[in-house]
Amino acid sequence: MEAQVTEQTRKDRGASLLEVCDQLVKLAKKAGASDSEAYAERTRESSVKVREGSVEELQQATSKGVGLRVFAAGRLGFAYGTDFSKDGLRGLAQSAVSLAKGAAKDPFNELPRGSQLGRGPEGGYDPAIEDIDPAWKLRAAHAAERAAGQVDRRVRKFDSTGAGDFLASSAIASSRGASGESRASYAYVYCSPVAEADGQLQTASWSDTRRRLSELQAPEEVGRIAAQRAARMLGARKVKTQKAAIIFEPQQAAGFLAGLSGAVNGDLVHKKSSFLAKLLGKRIASEQVTLVDDATLAGGLATRPFDGEGVLSQRTVVIDRGVLKNFLYDTYTARKAGARSTGNAARGWSSLPRIGTSNFVLDRGGASADEIVRGTKRGLLVTAMLGSGASAVTGEYSRGANGLWIEDGQIAHAVQEVTVSGSLLELLQAIDAVGNDLDLRSSTAAPTLRIAEAVISGS
Amino acid sequence: MPLVEKLLSAAMSRGAEFGEVYVERATTTAVSLDEGKVRSAQVGAVTGVGVRAIRGAQVGYAYSDDLDEAALLRTAQTAALIAEGNRDPGPVALSRTPLPTYYQVKQPLAGIDVARKIELVREADAAARAHDRRIRQVTAGYADQTREILVANTLGHLAEDRQDLCRLGVSCVAFGKGGERRTGFYGGGGRVDFRFFEDFSPAQVGREAARQAVATLGAVPAPAGPQTVVLAPGWSGILLHEAVGHGLEADFIRKGTSLFAGKLGDKVASELVTVIDDGTVAGGRGSLNVDDEGNPGERKVLIEKGVLKGYLYDHLNAKLTGQRSTGSGRRQSFRYAPMPRMTNTYLAPGDQAPEEILRGVRKGLYCRQFGGGQVDISNGNFVFEISEAYLIDEGEITRPVKGAMLIGVGPEALKNVSAVGSDASLDPGLGTCGKDGQSVPVGVGLPTVRIDNVTVGGTGA
Repeated sequence: MEAQVTEQTRKDRGASLLEVCDQLVKLAKKAGASDSEAYAERTRESSVKVREGSVEELQQATSKGVGLRVFAAGRLGFAYGTDFSKDGLRGLAQSAVSLAKGAAKDPFNELPRGSQLGRGPEGGYDPAIEDIDPAWKLRAAHAAERAAGQVDRRVRKFDSTGAGDFLASSAIASSRGASGESRASYAYVYCSPVAEADGQLQTASWSDTRRRLSELQAPEEVGRIAAQRAARMLGARKVKTQKAAIIFEPQQAAGFLAGLSGAVNGDLVHKKSSFLAKLLGKRIASEQVTLVDDATLAGGLATRPFDGEGVLSQRTVVIDRGVLKNFLYDTYTARKAGARSTGNAARGWSSLPRIGTSNFVLDRGGASADEIVRGTKRGLLVTAMLGSGASAVTGEYSRGANGLWIEDGQIAHAVQEVTVSGSLLELLQAIDAVGNDLDLRSSTAAPTLRIAEAVISGS
Repeated sequence: MPLVEKLLSAAMSRGAEFGEVYVERATTTAVSLDEGKVRSAQVGAVTGVGVRAIRGAQVGYAYSDDLDEAALLRTAQTAALIAEGNRDPGPVALSRTPLPTYYQVKQPLAGIDVARKIELVREADAAARAHDRRIRQVTAGYADQTREILVANTLGHLAEDRQDLCRLGVSCVAFGKGGERRTGFYGGGGRVDFRFFEDFSPAQVGREAARQAVATLGAVPAPAGPQTVVLAPGWSGILLHEAVGHGLEADFIRKGTSLFAGKLGDKVASELVTVIDDGTVAGGRGSLNVDDEGNPGERKVLIEKGVLKGYLYDHLNAKLTGQRSTGSGRRQSFRYAPMPRMTNTYLAPGDQAPEEILRGVRKGLYCRQFGGGQVDISNGNFVFEISEAYLIDEGEITRPVKGAMLIGVGPEALKNVSAVGSDASLDPGLGTCGKDGQSVPVGVGLPTVRIDNVTVGGTGA
């Protein structure tokens, strides 16, 4: 890996993040660690909120932190802090080493090394976001709110509308040769209006986040979509308890996938605690389902050159045309399970690496969302959900849902106060339509999905 | 001290009406045990300063973890940018707000030897495994935080508090026949001395987590559709938190986006329902001697005998609507501006014996343990997950059911409360509430309660 130091951080501080990490690794060795790894981050965030045409909040800050993982006599210790002074770092190294004494000796405690380490494609970093004009954010937020206010006279209230940017640089260094820096930039616009009629309030929100400013959805568009989504929920009511088709809009389909991510976590699988643990190589979903975890994906919000342990980013096929192909691993769990790290160590400076998805994406299918709706005789188009609802252990799925009722391919009325339930395996196998509307607006992303039948609980 | 005053002046330097400095130092310790081994012990220390400037309804917020004077002054000047002008605000005379003491943790939790914390998770793990041989996976975690805060504002208030908080939690997976797996989770803690775990023993925590997992082996699918439910006391209080609590937070009320806006004095629940948000519960997870804006914690009656009595106010929303703060201004850390939040939210006890409530139900669902919940404060739809539930048949608890969840609309659900038990109980100290990206510790509580005609999400007939 090559060291990449941004000019910004050079100007701000004496030491680069990578230098801080290198220093910590040296200090850890001095304090008695046999191996160590430091991970540091510096972020800059700036945001505006507007409401009813005036500024509601301006926020701006920079922030930093470093975490140190050590192994001493095969035992794991971890310490983190925000004090980058020499004394602060020395204190961190001493406490990590001393904490390791309390942990159990574990033969799988090792850092990644050699050919595992490396640098894949960079994630998007846009200097235009770095240099974003504060006035631009205000204009964007105002424009989104104004556009939302012109959609429907029943949309008059706003919870909040805003825009912002977020820059992050991170560095990693280890006694096993990990050494690198990476950067990420994000810009976003969001709008949360409330529609009101006949004593009913319905809120909806729409947002867009991108790593390049030029790819960001027009703020007016964000506002309009948000308002349309709120207005179309007015008059929502329960439906009868029944079995019917479920269509997940892309965001809700992504939420459904997120429920699966726990079940392909190598740690849960190794403990036989995932409902998918024994199904590797088996058909678990409809043939229309292909799911990948891809940290190298161009334009992905979670694209990065290496993972939270410095392991080279990769593309892992999780489900290939319905067949379960791979689970996701970090270094520790991979060693324990006799597998290879898939570069899925997720990381922040204040926590130990743990298995997490990067860009977790369902392949697009052939049908447009409209065609899927038109082809549905009776069902619920789910537009928002409540609750976490999916158990990776038992494979049970049950969530609150809002949406639109479909009769004979047409939208009949809005629906609220119902739940959608089933077993995740049955739901995956019942997927009978996959849309062509995949958009990487979140790191877990999916196109429109239809499940042939699930239980809807209502009146 | 003079630095805080300098920062307040800087926050006001462009004509803001209110300035505030929030200093936080938090030390966190955590230990975790997995597959029978202590996986790690960790500690972190974070110090930072948040500065807020307010003009009218407009807020400027900035923070820094660089603690040198120049960096902090830059931070205050950034917050000041919300106002557009130039003025010398003059000196601020600070006087200390006398504080109550709702949590007296004598020895800061950060100072307790980590070996004793490790011992807790070991004992909990051993007890869970010993409970039943079908318990094959146990993870146990203990975490505590010693958080010291200082809040000073241009009204002249200065408050300092030390807020210790701890939590022990155990998760179990029981393996049954034919690959069946059930989970159990239990734990607790609060703003309590470490000695708390002498009574609330780790062994008891481990056994309870194991009991839940084993008890639900062989569960049948939860019946779908409207039913009568009986909620066991304690963590079931999440019902109030979701069904009414969030909708009474004054930011939503001021913006008119909550279905409870403009309903003060209206009947919004059955007359059996009295809801209290109480920051003064001794040792409570959500208790506050002082909130994150320097206002003392309070006990607030939100709903009295079914009638809506009050909202939860922070400084800003109180000021803008001519009310006073109810000590409800909270923030996750110095990196966030405060907003109105709950503390410990519970239902006042009724006079029915819990057994009597259960006996009165011919067919229904008895909900004993609960997962998380969520609410949409505009349409009032809320859900919460039931992790351990049983069918009720002629007043008797019968078979366990799986995959149950309750959904409703806040005021309707509370109007359908038809019995309230005498067995009021707070949860054991587990809850964390998320709002707008900020997490804060909260408590909830409920006696045994019967609610009619609640929609149960499930897959059974």
